Amino acid sequence: MNRPRLATNLNLAAGVAALGLFAVMALVFVGAEFTDPNGFASGASIMEGIGYALFDLTGQFDVRPGEGIPSTESFLLAFELIDVVLVAALVGSIMLARRESDDSLRKTLTDGGRDEE
Amino acid sequence: MIPTQWYLLLSAGVFCIGLFGILTRKNALIFLMSVELMLNAANINLVAFSQQWGNLNGQVFALFTMALAAAEVAVGLGIILVLYRNFEDIDVTSPTTMRW
Repeated sequence: MNRPRLATNLNLAAGVAALGLFAVMALVFVGAEFTDPNGFASGASIMEGIGYALFDLTGQFDVRPGEGIPSTESFLLAFELIDVVLVAALVGSIMLARRESDDSLRKTLTDGGRDEE
Repeated sequence: MIPTQWYLLLSAGVFCIGLFGILTRKNALIFLMSVELMLNAANINLVAFSQQWGNLNGQVFALFTMALAAAEVAVGLGIILVLYRNFEDIDVTSPTTMRW
């Protein structure tokens, strides 16, 4: 039967570096001084604000902190760019995963140039 | 309201768990999951500072980071599939010819 097992082949010496980094960061963060969080107004609509920011609609509404919609900027260009990046990543992963009958070129590209066996 | 320092501490913890996974394991799938943890630590920071300044930009940034993480996982899974096809294993130390 296949079941999850505790990993015993860990490289724990390298893991100590992660623990050390956490210790340093914890020291810095706990000692950091911040003003009290401004937060959002109790009736503020966060989701609406995010939607308006993503579609560049902030200019069409009266957007002021504490008056319904928290302040944001326009992210329409970033939204479109991330759309292109996502489509490119999906197409790329499908290209990588596709199995072809004659895949000599793809194999050369993806096997690190190992010699054919 | 919870002070921002505690969010930073939580984020540092999540980030270091991800780093621990990357440094100690060799399985490519666990690598991907650890990278996700590190990206989500950054998201916690973005949302925490969004609340600190009362500005929504941080939350929108976090959304974009999630989209980028999805793209990264799509490509990562494709690479792991090819890795398995060529090496019959997903140990990240086995492909050595592309190291430099």
